[in-house]
Amino acid sequence: MNAIASPSALVLDGITSGYRASVVLRGLSLDIRKGEAVALLGKNGMGKSTLLKTVMGYLAKKAGAIHLHGENITRLPPHRIARQGVAYASQEQPLFADLSIRDNLRLGLAQESLFEERFAAVEPLFPVFGSRLAQYAGTLSGGEQKMLLLARALMVRPSVILLDEITEGLQPSVIDRLANALLQEREQQGTTLLIVEQNVPFALKVADRYVVLKQGELVDEGLAKADGAVEAVFSHLRV
Amino acid sequence: MPAEPADPVVRARPFNSLLVLGAIGVALLVAGPWVFDTYLLNILIKAFFFAIAAITVDVLWGYTGYLTFGQSAFFGIGAYAAGLVFTHVGFSTFTVLLAIGATVLASAAVAGLVGWLSFYRGASPFFATVISLVLPIVLTQLLLSGGSFTGSSSGLTGYQSFDWSLEAWYWVAGAMLAVAGAIGWVLVRSDAGRVLAAIRDNEVRCTYLGIDTSRVKIALLTAMGVMAGIAGFGYGAFSGVVAPELTGFALGTELIIWVALGGRGTLWGPLAGGVLINVATAYLSSSMPFAWQLILGGAFVVVIVLFPQGLIPLLLKPFGVLQGATRMPQLQERPGSTDGQATDAVAIRLQGVTKHFGSLKVLQGIDFEARAGELVGLIGPNGAGKTTLMRCMSDGAERSGGTVELCGSDIRQLPPEACVRLGLGRKFQNANIFESLTVAECLRIAGTRLERPSLLHQDPVLRLPPYALHVVRATALEGKLATVARDLSHGEQQALELAMVLALEPRVVLLDEPTAGLTKTERTQIGEVLSSLAHRYGLCCLLVEHDLDFVELISTRIVVLHQGAIAMQGSFQEMVNSPLVKTIYSGSTHAMKEGS
Repeated sequence: MNAIASPSALVLDGITSGYRASVVLRGLSLDIRKGEAVALLGKNGMGKSTLLKTVMGYLAKKAGAIHLHGENITRLPPHRIARQGVAYASQEQPLFADLSIRDNLRLGLAQESLFEERFAAVEPLFPVFGSRLAQYAGTLSGGEQKMLLLARALMVRPSVILLDEITEGLQPSVIDRLANALLQEREQQGTTLLIVEQNVPFALKVADRYVVLKQGELVDEGLAKADGAVEAVFSHLRV
Repeated sequence: MPAEPADPVVRARPFNSLLVLGAIGVALLVAGPWVFDTYLLNILIKAFFFAIAAITVDVLWGYTGYLTFGQSAFFGIGAYAAGLVFTHVGFSTFTVLLAIGATVLASAAVAGLVGWLSFYRGASPFFATVISLVLPIVLTQLLLSGGSFTGSSSGLTGYQSFDWSLEAWYWVAGAMLAVAGAIGWVLVRSDAGRVLAAIRDNEVRCTYLGIDTSRVKIALLTAMGVMAGIAGFGYGAFSGVVAPELTGFALGTELIIWVALGGRGTLWGPLAGGVLINVATAYLSSSMPFAWQLILGGAFVVVIVLFPQGLIPLLLKPFGVLQGATRMPQLQERPGSTDGQATDAVAIRLQGVTKHFGSLKVLQGIDFEARAGELVGLIGPNGAGKTTLMRCMSDGAERSGGTVELCGSDIRQLPPEACVRLGLGRKFQNANIFESLTVAECLRIAGTRLERPSLLHQDPVLRLPPYALHVVRATALEGKLATVARDLSHGEQQALELAMVLALEPRVVLLDEPTAGLTKTERTQIGEVLSSLAHRYGLCCLLVEHDLDFVELISTRIVVLHQGAIAMQGSFQEMVNSPLVKTIYSGSTHAMKEGS
């Protein structure tokens, strides 16, 4: 991948963070190149979601620094980080249940006029929404809400997308479609991806590189398409 | 098995510092009359009575999550019971008993009525708070329009009361406060007290664990109403003056401010907050009548912004009083009542079940039956109505038409907690747990339906049915029993909820994506548990799941739901290889996975 040669998009340098008194990430460093897709894997409770929340500014860093396209974003609040072009599809599904699908999709856009153009690009990936733009997001099924979450992230044309278990609760054919959508988005927009997943085949299909997190530290990494990558990852998940 | 708790170290530390603090409190209480002057004693006695009311607000708001402005009403009822009886009937042993009896009866009756109005099924917490605002206003109006009987706006004065010295009053009021504090302390730390915190955290989960939250809240409000009423009686008997302000909503709001300033959900906070603010007000409001309210308001804002926990937790933190009060229970297998259940009996039957949101038809004419010992996989595209179907099976008010029978009983319009009593257990799609409670507490509350929790103490042993125990051990939750559920990872929360549902010993289990967010290894382990549920323990399991490998591994039958109707049912191979399922659902993934 040419991503290896490109400049850094997101750099974590010795990040320590956690919740209140408990430390989850311990001096973690990670360099993600522009246009690169990195799968962040590991067992439950190892700090994967915590890492995304830390990047997004929801958790205070106890030590370390984060740079986005060379700019220090360590102390920025979440909304500023979002404005810098980072989209985050979190596991907690923070959709606006009492707003329509259309309103949910256009909320991140700077201008209303962009909606038609952006939606035209996103709609083929999520055909369920086309005829239901006026429906309340709260009436969508769990899986559909996941799709809306990703669609909303893509609408913004972000430079970096953080995805937290986006495939959870989705039917197999939709997962396939999402993988293709993400690959296409990278190709066309040069988007950088950081993907937290339990669905290892999906993650490795989308990613160039995987890293394995254990007790808040990176314990392994490798190329996603290398021979034996799946086995290497599973060996970490089993223990 | 010795009754000693597993870890005495955890227990000893807070207990010791608690003793020290308690001893300081008792010493101050006993020595008061020799240390304080008459004016301060007067203020303190009244402050003690108010602090009791503040404690009841804390139990209701801080621990149970019911924001109430209405506790002043009960305080006023008690005060007026003293004032009215002593004014109109006179003062004697008999009338004292009469007044106390009137206090208890009137507070309990009003609290019961208000609780019934506030906590009916489906009422929002906001509605309950509005009712609590209305109560003191109505009561004050009634007193104002009571003419010479209630003394109208000037209240009642000059009635005869107990002929006690100031010192005696101080000790009586102090003892009452100590007793009220102790009752609150024992209650909130007991297993039953944890149920209150569970209601605050997640009322929906409580109802799906078979807890009738309305009844619990009405009973609690009644008890707290009586407690505030008795404090009011003490105030009325001591001061010799009762006025409509004592029932007013201004006092109700002040009680909330004392609780918030002192520290919501701590009991110590409201106790200290109530006493200190009353004393400070007495001294400062005369020297700076306008500035004092401003200072108090400013302090309130500062505390809310800077120390949302309140001041007392801040001060007591070094002593470790407020933390580590729960100890790790020992896990034990609950002697199984579900062993060897008759299989083949119909566990759940749906006939013509429909559901629509306005014109949007989500389910249409669902006929479905599942027997004990079956593990039915429910698959279908996202948005097919799978979760809606589970909702209709577990809450009588959900469906628009048709009938649902659980273990032979029609669920009619029954609420979830009644469906749970018929033998239902439901695991939600997103982990639905009690965030501020520990893993052990969550599991304990799940067993509430089977083992009535104690009002007095924490059980050192946590009994779970064998399959729930299996989930706890297979997912490493066993090592995290003392971890607060909020701090668990997503997958651990999913596992915890599954264990909680199983702790109910249900006969029909609805599982909405029980393995979402779990690793492959954990999935396999959960799969084994689920298989044993059906095959060994004879439970009927319904499983919504997108991981077809997982479904294949454990299910005995597959039902395909498509656009709100049952499209097909049969064996796994028949279903997955059918053209319909391939088109609408699986795409190429499953085939690809099998090939890899």
